Amino acid sequence: MTTDTVGTADTGAAAPKASSPVRNKRRRGAPKFLLALPAWTWFILFFALPVGLVLLYSLGEQVSAFVQKPDVSPDVWSLDNFDKAIEPEYMPVFWRTLKISIIGTFICLLISVPFAYWLATKVDPRWRGLLLGLVLVPFWTNFLVRTIGWQLILSPNGLVSDGLQKVGLRDDPLALLYTQTGVQIGVVYNYLPLMILPLYVAFDRTEPALREASKDLGASRVKTFFQVTMPLAMPGAIAGMLLVFIPLMGDYITPVLLGGAKGNMAGSLVAGQFLETFNWSQGAAMAVIMIAFILAALIVAALLGLLLRAGLRANRRITLPQATRS
Amino acid sequence: MSTVSAVNKPKFDWVKLAFSAWGVVVFIFLFMPIAWIVVYSFNTGRILTDWNGFGLDGYKSFFQNAAPRDAVMVSLGVAALSALVATALGSFAGVALARRPGKWSGAFLVLVALVLVTPEIVDAIALLPWYVLLGQDLNITAFNSGWVRLIVSHAVFSTAVVTLIVRARLAGMDESLEEAAGDLYATPTKRFTQITLPLMLPAVLAGGLLAFTLSLDNTVISSFVSVQGVTPWPVYVFASVKASLRPEIASISTLMFLLTILVIGLVAVVLRRGGDSSSGIAATMTGTG
Repeated sequence: MTTDTVGTADTGAAAPKASSPVRNKRRRGAPKFLLALPAWTWFILFFALPVGLVLLYSLGEQVSAFVQKPDVSPDVWSLDNFDKAIEPEYMPVFWRTLKISIIGTFICLLISVPFAYWLATKVDPRWRGLLLGLVLVPFWTNFLVRTIGWQLILSPNGLVSDGLQKVGLRDDPLALLYTQTGVQIGVVYNYLPLMILPLYVAFDRTEPALREASKDLGASRVKTFFQVTMPLAMPGAIAGMLLVFIPLMGDYITPVLLGGAKGNMAGSLVAGQFLETFNWSQGAAMAVIMIAFILAALIVAALLGLLLRAGLRANRRITLPQATRS
Repeated sequence: MSTVSAVNKPKFDWVKLAFSAWGVVVFIFLFMPIAWIVVYSFNTGRILTDWNGFGLDGYKSFFQNAAPRDAVMVSLGVAALSALVATALGSFAGVALARRPGKWSGAFLVLVALVLVTPEIVDAIALLPWYVLLGQDLNITAFNSGWVRLIVSHAVFSTAVVTLIVRARLAGMDESLEEAAGDLYATPTKRFTQITLPLMLPAVLAGGLLAFTLSLDNTVISSFVSVQGVTPWPVYVFASVKASLRPEIASISTLMFLLTILVIGLVAVVLRRGGDSSSGIAATMTGTG
C-alpha cells in the first residue's frame, strides 16, 4: 500500500495500474472501464466510421454533376479519382501546401524560441502569468475572425500597403492579399500560439541551476543556450512543430480568405470538391492524398531528426538527462 | 556567486534588452489583427475595409437584424448542449482512464489522440456524407436536423479534450482518499458523489467551459454539416466574407471575442482554484499538456 502511494506522486497514471488487480478484488463494485464505453461508442460512431467512409468514397465514382452522393458499389471501385488528383491541374497545390507548411512551421519556430525563452526565463515571475494569458487571447480568438483581421491589414488600402507608401518605401499599393505571401503570413500568425505554448512549458521546466552551472564552468551564453537549454527543451520544440505542421497542412480558412487562386491549398481544394463541384469521391481521394502527404512528411522529419540527434550527440562531450515528457 | 554578480552589475544587459524588444514585437504581431477588427467594428462605412468614420452603426445593425442575432442564438444553444454531452462522456471516460487503466486504455488513448490531431477539414468532409447516410439512407431522421448535426459534430473533438483534462486531474491525485472512504464503509455511490466528484469537479467544470468555447468558435465542421435555417455565427460570418464584408461582421466578431475571453478567463480561475500552475493552465487550455 505504502509503495504505491509513493509511486503515484511522480509517475502519475502508471502507478495505479500496477496495483489495480489487488484493489479490484477488494471492491466488488462495477468494473469502472465500463464508464468509458459511451465515449468509445461516440468516437467510433462519429469519428472512426465517418473517416472510414471517406476511404470508401475515394474509390467510388460520381454519378452525375447534379448528384452529390457517389456510386460506391464494389464493381465501380477504381483508383481513377487518385489518378485525377495527381494530374498537373491539382498536384502543384499539394506541393505548395507542403512548402507553405514547412516554411510556416520553421518561421513559427524561429519566432517562438527566443520569445518563449524570454517569457520563461527573463520575465519577472510576477508578470509571467499575465503575459502567458495574453498569448492565449489570440489563440482563443475565433480563427475566422483573426484571418479577417489580416484581410483588413493586407488589403491594398490596408495597414501594410498604406504604411509602406507613407514611409516612402513604395509608390504604388502593395498586393499581399490573395498571394502566397499573404497566406504564409496568415498561417504563421494563426498557428504561432501552438508553437509558443509547448516551448514555454519546456523552457519553464528546465532547471535554472543547469544554466548557471554551465556558465560557471565557463561556457558563453550562446554555448549554454545551444548545448544545455535547447537540448532540454527539445520535446517542447517537437511538440510545437507537430501541433503547427499537422493542422496547417489541412488549413482551409486561411487560404480561402487570404490566398485566392494564387495561394490555394489542399484544404480548400478538398472543400471545393465537396461544396462547389459536388464530387464527393474526388474530394475524398484528395483528402486521402493530403493525409498521405502529412504522414510522409512526418516520417521523413522523424528520420532527419534521428540523424541530426546522432550527429549532435557524437559532437557533444557530455550527455544531459532528458527532460521529462508530459 | 556574489563575485560574479558584482562583476556583471555595472555592465548594461544588452541581451536582455534585445529579448524584451523581441517580446514586445511578438505581442504587437499577436494582437494586430484583433485590434484591427475591434477598431473597424466602429466603422460607419458600408464596406468594412473602407474606413468612413467612427460610430456604432455596425452594432446597431447587428441588434436590429434578425439573421445575425439568430445565428448567435443558434451558436449559444449548440455550444451549451454539445458542452453538456462532451462533459458527460468525457468525464466518465476520464475517470475510467485514471482509475481503471488496462489493456483497453492504450487503444482508447490512441483514438483520442487521433481525434485531436486529425485536421478539421477531414472530420468535416467525413461527417457530411455520414449524416446523409444516417439521415436519408438509414432513415434516422434526427440526423437531418441541423441542431443534432451541429451538437454531435462539436461534441466529438470536445469529448476528447474533456477526457484528457479529467484524466490528468485524477491521475495527479492518488486514490487513498477514495480508499479511506471505502474502508469507512461508504457505499460506492457515496464514495463517488462525496469524494471523487468534488476532487474532479474543477477539471469537469474547466473541460465543460472549454467544450463550450470550442463549439462557439467552430467554423470548418459547422460550415459543412449545417443545414439551412440553423446557421451558427461563424458560418454566417464566413458566408458574408465570401459575398461582401460589412462593418456588422466586425461588430459580431468583437462581441463574440469578448464572450470567449470571458469564458476562458473563467476556465483559468477554475483551474487556478483547483491548484494548477500558470504553465499547467496554459498547457491544459491548448491541449498541449
